[in-house]
Amino acid sequence: MNHALRPMLLSATLALLVGVAHYLVFAYAPVEVTMGVVQKIFYFHVSSAYVCYLGFLLCFIGSLGYLFTRKGRWDAFALAAAETGLLFGLIVLTTGPLWARPVWGLWWVWEPRLTSLALLFLMFGAYFVLQNFGGAGEGIRRMAAALAVFATPNIYFVHVAVERWGGIHPQIKEKTGGGLTPEMRSVFFFAIATVLTLFIVLLVQRYRMHLHLRLLSASRRRFSRLGGES
Amino acid sequence: MRLGRTIAVLYRKDLRVELRAKDTLVMLGFFALVLVMVFTFGFSLDPATNRRVFPSIVWALLLFAGTLAVGRTFARESKDGAFTALVLSPAHRGGLLLAKTLVNVTLTTLVVALAVPVVAVMMRVDLMPVLLPVAAQLFLGAWGFALVGTPLAVMAVNARFAEVLLPMLVFPLVSPVLIAGVTATGATLGTIAADDPATFVRLMAAFDLVYAVGGYVLFDRLLTE
Repeated sequence: MNHALRPMLLSATLALLVGVAHYLVFAYAPVEVTMGVVQKIFYFHVSSAYVCYLGFLLCFIGSLGYLFTRKGRWDAFALAAAETGLLFGLIVLTTGPLWARPVWGLWWVWEPRLTSLALLFLMFGAYFVLQNFGGAGEGIRRMAAALAVFATPNIYFVHVAVERWGGIHPQIKEKTGGGLTPEMRSVFFFAIATVLTLFIVLLVQRYRMHLHLRLLSASRRRFSRLGGES
Repeated sequence: MRLGRTIAVLYRKDLRVELRAKDTLVMLGFFALVLVMVFTFGFSLDPATNRRVFPSIVWALLLFAGTLAVGRTFARESKDGAFTALVLSPAHRGGLLLAKTLVNVTLTTLVVALAVPVVAVMMRVDLMPVLLPVAAQLFLGAWGFALVGTPLAVMAVNARFAEVLLPMLVFPLVSPVLIAGVTATGATLGTIAADDPATFVRLMAAFDLVYAVGGYVLFDRLLTE
């Protein structure tokens, strides 16, 4: 297939998927009884949360791979995964309060799940900043990889600490507010599939971009070593 | 060189240099006193409120003092290629990390030991009856901070914006220690009703253990030289 055509075809398919998902969420899935229309955020919020965690997990794996193999493509993969995860994290952290305000009456609660996502977002945000603005050296990439590896077990401690600390804060049991009807469930699965497809496409694009950027800077270095002007 | 010997030699070297130059300690000490002033101006209200905010102030002090100490971990080695020489020397790599962590714990503990009594006096919080448990909690916290911060401090040798990046990376990572520490100290002082401080002390100890092992295993792979 033509190189220019493939991304366009992918984008068109994705746009179609996202459109159908919106139609299903707003027209097909029934309105939830107690929460009303606000509950529809749930379809995008929860599926974004899943892929956000997936992105951070892939970044952790990529970083481990980079630390042990020292191959640049692991690092490019980890960075792409962190970036994509951060994007969906931003969606989760935006849609969450929008849903929480009418349902819990509060924008934010220091509950284990919320706190761990917020802290993960900060840690991988720091990873992103370090990778992009920390400098170009290999030392920085390794440091970023170490950070990603360090961040992952941290979530367990955050979870436990917040759980024990919880005393004064309202405890939220289930976000979904009880059972889903079969229609809701199938729409939910469709939303997950859509968001996951979007995630994979973005991840692959970013990964390829980072690989090309690394190739470019490597050949630029080679060029300047040969006596050319860089 | 063997692990124990590497730690002993490097720790003694750093402490000796520090005792002769006294720059880091004096700088950190004055910084902590300025912080004490900022916090007491910011929060000092009435005795009951003071007692409630005291744990937060003490732990914020630990975090800030720790950040400065950790940021200067390889400051002396950054000149004249001393860092490269240190890494190329037959010193045990994990031992290098542990020795530097130990130095950071020592510096942070000293500064906190100086600043916390001053905060207590200025805010009229009676620390004497709870001195030992609070000191133990802060000591564990200093370990947690140094264990996370020291391996990342290698970055400060060659990263841009290292002085901003370091706290940005370390603060979220030590947030479990911060939550556990503030709660444990609050529970010891009797201002946080619900929980047994021992739970949080155990949590901090587990945290310290995981990051000690993690840092030790990974440190070798962080060095580019």
